[in-house]
Amino acid sequence: MSDSNATLLEAASARWFEELDDRGVLITDDRLIIRRWNPWLIAQTGRRPQDVVGRPLFECYPTLVGRGVDRYYREALAGEVRILSERFHRFLLPITRNFHGAGLTEMAQTARIEPLAHNGVVIGTITLIEDVTDRVVAERELRNQIAASERARRVAEEASRLKDDFLATLSHEIRTPLNAVLGWTRILRTQPSPRSQAHALEVIERNAISQMRLVEDLLDMARIISGKLRLNVESVALTEVAQAAVDVVAPAAAAKQIAIEVWFEDELPMVSGDAERLQQVVWNLLSNAVKFTEPGGSIRVQIKREKGILRLSVQDTGQGIAPEFVPYVFDRFRQADSSASRRHGGLGLGLALVRQIVELHGGSVGVESGGTKKGSTFSVTLPAVHALGAQNNSAPAAAEPVTLKGVSILIVDDESDARELLVAILRDYGADVRAVGSAVAAMDMLNDDGFHADVLVSDVGMPGTDGFALVREIRSQAAGKLRHLPAIAVTAYANPEDRVRALVAGYQNHIPKPVDANALAAAIVQLVPREGSRKPA
Amino acid sequence: MQLTTTQQDALIELLNIGFGRAAASLSQLTGHRVLLDVPQVSLHAIDDVGEALERNVRGAVASVHQIFTGPVSGDALLILDEAGATILKELLTNEPALPLSIDASAREVITEVGNILLNACLGTFGNLLKVQVSFSVPHLSIEHVGRLLESLMVAQQGIRYALIVHAAFRLRDTQVTGYLMIVLSVASLDRLIRAIEDWETGQQPQ
Repeated sequence: MSDSNATLLEAASARWFEELDDRGVLITDDRLIIRRWNPWLIAQTGRRPQDVVGRPLFECYPTLVGRGVDRYYREALAGEVRILSERFHRFLLPITRNFHGAGLTEMAQTARIEPLAHNGVVIGTITLIEDVTDRVVAERELRNQIAASERARRVAEEASRLKDDFLATLSHEIRTPLNAVLGWTRILRTQPSPRSQAHALEVIERNAISQMRLVEDLLDMARIISGKLRLNVESVALTEVAQAAVDVVAPAAAAKQIAIEVWFEDELPMVSGDAERLQQVVWNLLSNAVKFTEPGGSIRVQIKREKGILRLSVQDTGQGIAPEFVPYVFDRFRQADSSASRRHGGLGLGLALVRQIVELHGGSVGVESGGTKKGSTFSVTLPAVHALGAQNNSAPAAAEPVTLKGVSILIVDDESDARELLVAILRDYGADVRAVGSAVAAMDMLNDDGFHADVLVSDVGMPGTDGFALVREIRSQAAGKLRHLPAIAVTAYANPEDRVRALVAGYQNHIPKPVDANALAAAIVQLVPREGSRKPA
Repeated sequence: MQLTTTQQDALIELLNIGFGRAAASLSQLTGHRVLLDVPQVSLHAIDDVGEALERNVRGAVASVHQIFTGPVSGDALLILDEAGATILKELLTNEPALPLSIDASAREVITEVGNILLNACLGTFGNLLKVQVSFSVPHLSIEHVGRLLESLMVAQQGIRYALIVHAAFRLRDTQVTGYLMIVLSVASLDRLIRAIEDWETGQQPQ
C-alpha cells in the first residue's frame, strides 16, 4: 500500500472512530491487514491495537476463514456490501463471556462488511459490529411467552371440549334411566297383570338406583371441585371396607359370570379415613372392573402391607387400556371412548372420584395395563396408621332381621308423595304409622292426649314452620312426654353440615333422601326401647 | 421499449446464474436446500410499474433496497408481501416469526436475503458488462406498495424503466414468491440489453 493510500485510509476512517463508540469498527486495507481497531473492540475483545494493527485479519482471527467469512471480505474488495444477520451467523468476532446470566456465552452480533472507496477505487474494507445480545434474549423470551400462552390456549380448548363431551354424555346418561322409568310406568298403567307389574317395578327400581348413583357422583364431584367434601375421619379397617364393597358388587359380577377372588394379608394395620368414602373408592374400582370384563373373566382384589402404607389392588382380565389413554384414566370427564356408539355407559366420573377421594386421604392411585385386551390393575395406596391395631377379618355377626312391630311413628312431610312413601316403608316393617303434612298439624297431633308416638320422623324443608323449628319446639317443652320424644330428620339436604345442623336442632338422627328403607328402620330401632321393655300396644 | 423474446430468454438465463449463486449462499447459511427460480421477467416504463407490481403484491410489503452506482446505475429492490416475508423467515430459520414490525431478527434475516440476491444479480450484470458496480448498504422498509413506488419516483428524473423479475424461493416443499425490481435509466438499460445480446450471440454454437 502506497503512503498516499495510507493517508487516504486514515482520513476516510477517522470519521467512523469519532462517531461510533457503541459498536465495533474494524478497518483493513486492500490486503485485509488490520489498520484500525476502535476502543469498543479493545474493551470487548481485550485485544489492544498494538496486538492486532498491522497484522492480517485472518491471522488474528483464523476461524473467520473456516466459517467462510473470508469470502465476504473478498466481495467487499470487489465493491459489494454485505449484511451478516445474527440469526444466520450468530457473531462475527468470537467474544466469549456469560452475558446477562442468560446462558449465552457468545456475544450475539450483527455485522456489516463494506468496501472503503476513494474516488471509485476500493482501498480497503470497513466492518461494523453491533452487540445484539439484549435483543436476542428479549426475542427469545417473547417467543417462549407466546409459545406458553399458545399451550395454555390449547389446554383450555381441550378442557372446554371435554366439558362439552361430558355434557353430551351426561344428558344421555340421565335420559336413559328416565326413559326406562317413564316407559315402564306407562306399561304399569295399561297392563296391570301381576307378572308385568313385578317386572316393571324391578326395572323402575334398578333405573332409579342407577340414576341416584349418577346424581351422587355428580354431587360428589361438585363438592370435591369446590373443596366442600368433608371426610368423617376415623380408624378404618380397609379389609372390612373392601369386603363390603365386594359384597355390593358380587351380584352384578355373578350375573356376568365373573369370579371375584379376594386375598387380604393377615393382621393389617388400620388406615385413617372416611369408611363410607373408602368403600365408594373400592366399589367404583370394582364396578369399573365388572363393567369392562367380559363374561367368564375374573377379578382379583388384594390388600397387602408395604412400607408404611397399605396397597389395595383390583386386577381384572378385562379389555385393558390403550397405552395412549393410560395417563388420562383418572382425569375428570375422560372416557377412552366418548363416541355416541360407545359400548359402555357411565359419566366417566367414577375413576376421577376415586383419585380425588384417595388423594384427600393422603394416598395415591395408579394403573397398569398390558394394553388393549390385556386386562388392567388399579391400585390404591393409603398411609397406614402407626398404632398397630390388628384388623378383625372375621365377618360381622349377621344382623337380626329388623322389625318395627308395635312401634308408633308420626311422619311429618309436606310432600304427599314422599309422605306416602315413608308410610309405606314403615308399615312394611310392621309399624303403626300416622302421617301429617305440616309442623303445625304435627304439634296438634302430639299434644292430643289420645295419641302416643314412640318416634317422630320429620322432613326438614317445609313451608311455614320447618323441621328445625318443629324439633326445637318439642325440645323446649318444659316437661311432659314430648321433651324426650325420639326424632329422626329425613331430608334431601344430605351434606355432613346439614346432618350437624339437624342434630344440633334436636334430632337424634339424620337420614338422607332418597331414603334407604333399611337404614331408616335400623335408625328407628336404635331409638325405641327394646321389645321386652316396650309397653304392650 | 419492449423486450424481444430472445432478449427475454437471454435475460432469464443470465438472471438464473445470479439466482443460482444466491441459492447456493442461502443453502450454505441455512443448512437446507434452497432453490431460486426465475419464472418470469418483464420490462415496464416506470410510470406503469405500479400497475404491473400490484397485480402480484398488494398492501404492506417488505422491501430490501440497494442503490448501485458505476457505469450502470439505478435502484435494486427485493419486494415480498408481509406474509411472504414472514413465511420465508420461518422457513429459513426454522423458528416461528413474530410480526415483522416487532421481530428485529426477522427483519435482519430478510435484509440479508435481499442483500445476497441483489448482490448476486447485480454482480452478474457487472461481470457481463465488465464493469465494477458499487452498492449502497441495503435498507429494509415495511410500507404500502404504493408508498414504496412513490418514494422511488421522487427525486429522480429522466425516463426510466423497471425490470420486474419474479423470484420463486423453494425450500422444504414450500414456495414463496418475491419480486426483484431493477430500476434503470434509459442509457443503463440500453447498455445492459446490448451486452446481453452480445453475450447471447457468444453463447450460441459457432
